[in-house]
Amino acid sequence: MTNKTTEADVAFIKALAELLRENDLTEIQVKRDYGEDDSINVRVSKKVEVAAPAPSAVHVAAPAPAAPAAAAPVAAAAPATDEDPAQHPGAVTSPMVGTVYLQPEPSAPAFVKVGDSVSEGDTLLIVEAMKTMNQIPAPRSGTVKRILVEDKAAVEYGAPLMIIE
Amino acid sequence: MFEKILIANRGEIALRVIRAAREMGICSVAVHSTADADAMHVRMADESVCIGPPPGTESYLHIPSIIAAAEVTGAQAIHPGYGFLSENAGFVQIVEDHGLTFIGPTAEHIRVMGDKITAKDTMKALGVPCVPGSDGGVPDLAEAKKIGREFGYPVIIKATAGGGGRGMKVANSEAEMERAFQTARAEAKAAFGNDEVYIEKYLTTPRHIEIQVFGDGKGGAVHLGERDCSLQRRHQKVFEEAPGPCISPEERAAIGKTCAEAVAKINYAGAGTIEFLYEKGEFYFIEMNTRLQVEHPVTEAIFGVDLVREQIRVAEGLPMSFTQDDLTINGHAIEVRLNAEKLPDFAPRPGKITAFHAPGGLGVRMDSALYDGYVIPPYYDSLIGKLIVHGRDRAEALARLDRALGELIIDGVENTVPLFAALLQEPEIQSGDYNIHWLEHWLKLGKLG
Repeated sequence: MTNKTTEADVAFIKALAELLRENDLTEIQVKRDYGEDDSINVRVSKKVEVAAPAPSAVHVAAPAPAAPAAAAPVAAAAPATDEDPAQHPGAVTSPMVGTVYLQPEPSAPAFVKVGDSVSEGDTLLIVEAMKTMNQIPAPRSGTVKRILVEDKAAVEYGAPLMIIE
Repeated sequence: MFEKILIANRGEIALRVIRAAREMGICSVAVHSTADADAMHVRMADESVCIGPPPGTESYLHIPSIIAAAEVTGAQAIHPGYGFLSENAGFVQIVEDHGLTFIGPTAEHIRVMGDKITAKDTMKALGVPCVPGSDGGVPDLAEAKKIGREFGYPVIIKATAGGGGRGMKVANSEAEMERAFQTARAEAKAAFGNDEVYIEKYLTTPRHIEIQVFGDGKGGAVHLGERDCSLQRRHQKVFEEAPGPCISPEERAAIGKTCAEAVAKINYAGAGTIEFLYEKGEFYFIEMNTRLQVEHPVTEAIFGVDLVREQIRVAEGLPMSFTQDDLTINGHAIEVRLNAEKLPDFAPRPGKITAFHAPGGLGVRMDSALYDGYVIPPYYDSLIGKLIVHGRDRAEALARLDRALGELIIDGVENTVPLFAALLQEPEIQSGDYNIHWLEHWLKLGKLG
C-alpha cells in the first residue's frame, strides 16, 4: 500500500514538473483529496523563482518515510542550473519572516522592476509581518538584476528577495 | 480540531510535539534559526520557517518572528515546549491577540506563578503547604535578620523574579546574613532586573518531589503522581524517577489531591508541575511550573498517557482522556538527561556527532534530536537527549537503564553518559536513599575520573 502510493505520487510530481518545463511556467501548486485522511499537496517551482525553502508539504496517508522520498523528485524536477541565489554577492535577503508586497499598494506600480537603477536606501519591496509594513531598502546602489519573489509570497528569514549588482 | 500547529521551540522537545501532532493528524510547522537549518525537528516537521539568526533573542525568543511564521503558514495554534517563551505571559497575550491558540495555561496563571511571591501566596491560600519564611519581599537587612531569628538558621535568600534554580544564597547563621543578603540582591538585580528577595527556612536534607497536575481549563483537574528529581547539579536535574522511592501511596494520594484541587479551583488549563521540598514526611511548596517539564516522560511511562496529546486536546476545548480513577501506576520509570558536556567539570562541548546509535528493546525510550553527522550548535543549551526506561519495579528499571546505557553510542562529542554508568554503581542510588545535596557531594568526592 505504501509503495503503490509513493510510486503514484512520484509519477504525479514528475508529470507536474514536465508540465512546468514544457509550458515555461514558474510554479504549479496542486492539492488533491483522494479520500478521508488521504490527500496530496504539492508545489513544483523553478528553483530560481522560489523564495528559499518555502513550505512545500506532501501529505499522504502513509507514515512519514513517504514524505522524504516524495520530496526528492521535487528538487530533481526543477532545473538546477543556477547556484543558490542567497549566496550571490548582490543578493538582498529578507531580514524577517513575512509576506512580500512588490508595490506600495495593490493598485500602484511595483517599487522596482528588472533593469531599474537604484540608489542605496531606495525601497525595493515591502515585507509585511503582524500587520506592519516593513520597507526593505537597497543595501547598495546598482541595477536590479533579478526579482526572486512574487507578490504576496511568504518568505522566511534569510530568503533571497532580489539581486542588485 | 487544529489543522496546523506551530512549535515555538527546537531540539528534542520540538520532536516530541511534532510526534504527538502527527499521530493526531495535525500538520506541524517547525521554526528554526539559521544555525538549526539541518536540525532534526526541521527535517521531521511537515513545514518549516527560518525565523532568524542563531542567537535565541533573535530567533526562538523573537516574538514577532514566531507570530509572523504562524501567519504565513496558517497555523492555528502554537505549542511553546519548555524554556524559551513557554512561561512568558506577554507572549501568550500576543498569541491570543492575533487570534491564535496558545497550547498551555492563560497569561494570568503564568503571570501569577512566575512571580515567586504571588505564587507562594496563591498556593498558601489554596491550602498547599509552603516552606516557612518571610511574608513577601524582604526590604532590608534588619528585617532579614529578624526573620532569621524567627525561623531559625539556616535560611535561604531567593530572588522574587528568579526561578529554575538561579538567584539563591544560603546564610547559615546571623553572622553570614549580611553578606548573603546583599549578594543575593545584587545578583538578582543583575540576572532578573529586579532585586526583590524573600527568605525561607533552608531544609538540610530534603528531596525534590514534584507533582504533575493537569487541568481541563473548566474547573476539572487531576494529578499524575510525583517525580523525585533530587539528583541535581547546580540546581539542574540530571536524573528523575517516578514514582518517588520514598513516597507512600497515602502520601501520594493526599498531596496529589491537594494539588489537583488547587489547580481545579483556578480553572487551570493544561499541564503543570508543583514542586516541593520533602523532608521528614512533610511537603513544602517551592514553585509551580506552568508548562510541560523536561522529565514528563517518566510520568507518561508509569501511567500510560501522552501528555502532549492531552495538552493539544485541552487547547482544542476537548476534555482530558482520563479521570483520576483511570490513573493507576504501573511499574517504575527513570530518566537520565544526556548533555554535550565534558566530564568531570561539565564544560559545554558543542561539535559534530560522528556516530549515534540509540538503545532499544523492551521498556526503552530515547527522546533526542541527534543523528549521525549532526553538528550541535554552540548557541543553545547542552541537552542532547533523554534516555527513559520503564520496568515492572525499580530494580528492573535500574537494570534496564544499565543495559540501555551500554548500548547507547554518542561519538564525536564529549557527553555525560559516563556519569550515569558511575552513579548506577552507587549503593545509595540502587537503594534510592539520596537527597538534593547528594549529587554535588558525590561529585566533590571526585568519583568521576
